[in-house]
Amino acid sequence: MLEALALIALGLAAGAVAAALGLGGGVIFVPSLVVLFGFEQHLAQGTSLAVIFPTAIVATVAHARMGNVRWPLAIPIGIAGVIGAVIGARIALGLDADLLRRMFGMFLIVLAARMAWRAWGLTDRSERSPDRT
Amino acid sequence: MSQSYFRAVALGAVAGIVAGLFGVGGGVIVVPGLVLWLALTQREASGTSSATIVASSAAAVISFGVSGSVDWRAAALILVGSVVGAWIGAWIAGRVDERPLAITFALVLAVAGVRMLF
Repeated sequence: MLEALALIALGLAAGAVAAALGLGGGVIFVPSLVVLFGFEQHLAQGTSLAVIFPTAIVATVAHARMGNVRWPLAIPIGIAGVIGAVIGARIALGLDADLLRRMFGMFLIVLAARMAWRAWGLTDRSERSPDRT
Repeated sequence: MSQSYFRAVALGAVAGIVAGLFGVGGGVIVVPGLVLWLALTQREASGTSSATIVASSAAAVISFGVSGSVDWRAAALILVGSVVGAWIGAWIAGRVDERPLAITFALVLAVAGVRMLF
């Protein structure tokens, strides 16, 4: 019961941060499930994907209504993405959990660095091109 | 046109591999790729990216599900929370300075990343 509430709270926090900063939830779900909930790496990743899929459907419907989806690009990216995702998942499932966890840790550090770098330049960019929001 | 198709396919392949390998959506690759490589606006990039994630996350979650690596109950609970969280986040987005929020969050991610290395 307590764990169920904690998982809802994780979704709440991750959903809020993701929406506020415009990033996907997977980057938050996977490390949280591993570090805070003790999930095995593969299980954390699979569970993260199971949350991402319905979330992406809802987001796409909302974006499509506002005319923000460029379908001629989305279709080839999506098809290539399916092939890539199957390959990526096969690689992940073939890897030892500890190794995969370490690789994910490195991926996270690179993302954090990129994010901090961008945030640092945030005001400069908006000053240079105020029309590009 | 053919060049943008080539770019789209390359972008999708790389993003898909990252999505499948790390259990993320792949937006971290697709959105900047669409903005920098295919000259979309940030808004169009977000929308187009989410449409591609529907396809790639479906493929990836099937692969993980078949091998028993999905906790469906946990996923459902997280989903319930994140629906509400997304509303809160969208409300926060217009009212809070994004910069300190992004830097703080980058720090949290970095700490989590380092912890996962060991």
